[in-house]
Amino acid sequence: MHPLDLIIIVGYLALITFVGLRLAGRVKSARDFFLAGRSLSWWVIGLSIIGTNIGANSYVGAAGNAFSIGIAQANFEWIGAIPAMILAALVFIPLYWKAGVYSIPEYLGLRYNSTVRVVAALITSIVSVFAIGVALWAIALTLQTYLGWPIWVGIMVTGTIVGAYSIAGGLAAVAFTDMLQVSIMFVGGLVIVGLGISQTGGFSGFAETLISENPNHLQAYLPADHPSYPWPGVIFGLGLVLSPAYWWAGQAILQRSLGAKSQWDASAGMMFAAFGKIFVPLLIVFPGLLALVMHAQIEYPDMALPWIIKNVLPPGISGLMFIAIIAALQSTIDSSVNSTSLMLTRDVRHVLIKNANPDNDLKVGRILTLVLLLLAMCTAPLVAEMGGIFTFLQTILSLFQGPMLALLILGAFTRRATPQAGLWTLISGVIFASAASYAGMNMLYVAFSSFIYAVIALWLLSGLTAPQPDKDLSTLTYSPWRRS
Amino acid sequence: MDPSNLPLEWAYYLSIFGFLCLFVVIWLIPKKAVFEDAPDQSRWRDLRLWAAVLIAFQLVIYAVFN
Repeated sequence: MHPLDLIIIVGYLALITFVGLRLAGRVKSARDFFLAGRSLSWWVIGLSIIGTNIGANSYVGAAGNAFSIGIAQANFEWIGAIPAMILAALVFIPLYWKAGVYSIPEYLGLRYNSTVRVVAALITSIVSVFAIGVALWAIALTLQTYLGWPIWVGIMVTGTIVGAYSIAGGLAAVAFTDMLQVSIMFVGGLVIVGLGISQTGGFSGFAETLISENPNHLQAYLPADHPSYPWPGVIFGLGLVLSPAYWWAGQAILQRSLGAKSQWDASAGMMFAAFGKIFVPLLIVFPGLLALVMHAQIEYPDMALPWIIKNVLPPGISGLMFIAIIAALQSTIDSSVNSTSLMLTRDVRHVLIKNANPDNDLKVGRILTLVLLLLAMCTAPLVAEMGGIFTFLQTILSLFQGPMLALLILGAFTRRATPQAGLWTLISGVIFASAASYAGMNMLYVAFSSFIYAVIALWLLSGLTAPQPDKDLSTLTYSPWRRS
Repeated sequence: MDPSNLPLEWAYYLSIFGFLCLFVVIWLIPKKAVFEDAPDQSRWRDLRLWAAVLIAFQLVIYAVFN
């Protein structure tokens, strides 16, 4: 390793720890810990959202997919994100803000009932622990590749650094470190773009080679009979169901919006993140296309990014890309730990333990943050052997998305949806999605069909069950046209 | 109807239609709701304009990569 690489890496770790711990003094209550004392500005929120969103699979997986299928991979950043983010900013964030909630399960609890709240919080939390474990494992692997550290050392070092600032500084520390991490990711990504284009004969040389050798790699959509990403699945499954479910109900994403200093900052932060998403493919899709243009000889697509780092970046600069990957993973871990701790502290504990004292939320939240990190650190070394379990948990979460989105949309836009109908739609919707998945349906179509089923079921069942009183719904439904 | 037989051009027509619908929807949101809690009423704080620029970007992207 070049000495400059080492300086960049050590400097990054020291800076992140310093910034995170500096914010610890601000935490005096659970509101400070979980919602940054409602003090975040729109630009901090926007950058933090991007940091949380670019996760373990983004860098390596997206570059590998782009190598195989081309620019169509960017649909996950464009049509699979931006329309939902616009509506999150203009409709759902104002709705949650007016409801005065800390979390999305809390909103669902108020709109439907506490069972829906606990089920939503528990499923998300369990998957989150394994997701944090996977991210820790990915960081440890990266540290092993570049620095030769044993896996357990990588897990311990990362867990300790993230734990130190997340436990001490809460959401504020998470958001500010995310902001730094995203800046590093963009600098690293732009360096790759610049150097890559110059090595392939400038932009015209890059584009000409790509167009002449792989013309289909510049099509945003793939044919309808594509086995993995058929365009109807991308538009209806990803664009209309999975993406809205992620951007309108993802606690790790929306928590920084709920920590804004005003409703306008909360909405503007999401909109600012959407502008960032336009350019995210430069970071995570472009390296895959670059490897293709440079005729990279790789065994499998996921090796596209490592190949680019090794063959495009000069010594001394590869450390920058290395920390960009570490930063992407860390910003996902810290956000997941903080949001999961919130859901367990409030959405599960407050409902299941009737006499839980809210004054203890800060203490409980910090203990749970530590416990979650330790659990994820214990899980991380097992990730390689338990890939099947993790895939199973991810599948469970995806089965949950269509019905959950139906509850959210009908709950937010109509007064018709009732608590009993919500619970039964959630249960039967997951069963419907499981059956469709078991029958071998593409996951994008499973999401769409389970959503349509849940909308119809919730509408019909609500006509047969007792509604909530109108006065309880005034702050829980979106109605900006109503005169106050 | 078998979705695997649908022509590829429809994807682009549907996307453009969807973005145009979204453009109309955002302008149906009252100005008062968009400026809620905003420190001032400057034009740049109108988040519907931010959304319009984002939609324009999307239209250009899907027109270029087709």
